[in-house]
Amino acid sequence: MESPGPSAAGPEPPGRAEPAVGLERCVTGIEGLDNILGGGIPRGNTVLIAGSVGTGKTTLSLEFLLRGAERGERSLFLSVTEASDKLVQNLSTFEFFRTDLVVDGKLVFVDLPVLYEKLGLESEELSSEELDILVRTIRDLVRSLGIKRLVLDSLTSLCYRIRKDEQIREFVLRLGEEMSACDCTSVLVSEITPTQGRYSTRGVEEAIVDGIILLWNARRRGDIHRVLQIVKMRGSAHSHAQYVIELTPIGILMTPHLKGARADEEG
Amino acid sequence: MAPAEIGDRLRALPPGTAVTLKLDPREYADQYFSVLTAALRDVGSGANTHTIYVAVTSPAAFVWSLAQALDVPADRVSFVDAISHLMMHYENPLPNATYVESPRALESIMLRVEYLLRRTRSPRSTVIVDSVNSLAIHNPPELLSEFLHILLNNLKSRQVLTLVLETTEEQAASVEQLLNLVVDETIDMARLGP
Repeated sequence: MESPGPSAAGPEPPGRAEPAVGLERCVTGIEGLDNILGGGIPRGNTVLIAGSVGTGKTTLSLEFLLRGAERGERSLFLSVTEASDKLVQNLSTFEFFRTDLVVDGKLVFVDLPVLYEKLGLESEELSSEELDILVRTIRDLVRSLGIKRLVLDSLTSLCYRIRKDEQIREFVLRLGEEMSACDCTSVLVSEITPTQGRYSTRGVEEAIVDGIILLWNARRRGDIHRVLQIVKMRGSAHSHAQYVIELTPIGILMTPHLKGARADEEG
Repeated sequence: MAPAEIGDRLRALPPGTAVTLKLDPREYADQYFSVLTAALRDVGSGANTHTIYVAVTSPAAFVWSLAQALDVPADRVSFVDAISHLMMHYENPLPNATYVESPRALESIMLRVEYLLRRTRSPRSTVIVDSVNSLAIHNPPELLSEFLHILLNNLKSRQVLTLVLETTEEQAASVEQLLNLVVDETIDMARLGP
C-alpha cells in the first residue's frame, strides 16, 4: 500500500536552503534507522515523527534519547500529556536502560504542564507572546543543561492550545531555529489519524520541519505490521523505502517491508 | 545418509553459506531426523555455536522434544515459532522460543531471527528454515521469493550458515528457481542414499 500521508512534504520554508549532504550527523543509535538515514539525522535538524495511535512514536523517541544519553549527549524529554514517572517506567523495558543516566542528569524529563504553571501560562489558548516565552524557556533549559537531543511529545497536544495556524508555524520555526543554534537535534511527535492525509493535525508543521519520519499500521491479509518510512530529511541522501519495525527489549529492529502482496493491504 | 556424514558436510562449509537440504517425501521421517541430529546435535552443540530454528512445519515444542531426545543443550538452540499461534498450540510457550502470529508474517520472522542473532551474539550461528514448502502454503510465490532473497542475503552477509529444508516434488517451480538462485549448495538426501 501507499503510505497514508500526502505524496509530497509541502514547500520548503523561505530562507532555509537545502544543506549539502555530508553534514555532521546525530547518530540515533537505532541501527536500522541510522542505515537508512545515511548515518543519522543531520545535527541540529528538527524532525517530525508522525503516526497514529500505537505505531511506536513515543518508543522511537525514547530510544533516540536513551541512545544519545548513552553516547554522552545530554537528552531532554518534554512531555505534554504523560507523566515523567510513567515514561521512565516504560524505558525500563529496554534491556540497555541504565537508571544512572536519569540520576546523573544525562537523560532529563520535564512535564510541560509543570512548566506552564511555573511560567503562568494557564490560559486555555496560548497567545503569541506566551508561545515566545515558552520557546525562550525551552532554549534556556537546553542551553543551561547542555542538551543535544530534545523530544517534544507531543506537538499535537501543545497545538490544541494554539488557535491560529500562523502561530503554530511561527512556534515550530522559532523552536527549530533556537535548537539548531544550540546544536541540538530535536524530535517533535505528531499524532495523526490513519485517514488524515497529512503529517500533522493542522498541516502547517510539516512544511517547517527539516525531516519527517512516518509510522503507520499496515495490514496484510489480516496481519498487522508497524511500518516506518522517511518522507523527507534535509541534508541527507536517505532511503524512501518502507520498513517493518518491531519494538523489542534490545531496541527497535527494522526490516524491509515486503511488496509481494501490497495490493492486499489496507491502511 | 548418516547424520555423521551430513554433519561433516555442514562443518566443511564456509561461514555464510546457504544450503538447501532436499528431503524425499517417501523417506521424510528418517531423513528429517538425520538432518536434525546432524544440525542440532553434531554441529549445533559445539563450542560457541548457536542455532536458530524457524519452525513453520511443526510447532517449536515438537521439534524441541526431538532435540531433547538427542541431548541438545537448551542454551544452544532458540526457536522462531510461526505455526503455534495458527494451530492454537500456544498454551505452554517454550522459554527458548519467540512466537510469530502466523507464517504470513514474514517480516516478523526476519525480525525475530535478527533479534535472536543479536541476543546470542554467537561467533558460529546457524539458521534452519523448516520448511520452504510450509511457507509456500501460506504465502504467494512473489512474496516468498522476496522474503527468501532478503533473509538469505542478510544471513550470508553476517556469516551465518543457513539451512533451508525443502521436500522435493511438492514445490512450486518459481520457488525452486529462486532457491537455486540464492543458495550456494544443495544437498539432495535422496541421491545420497542411506
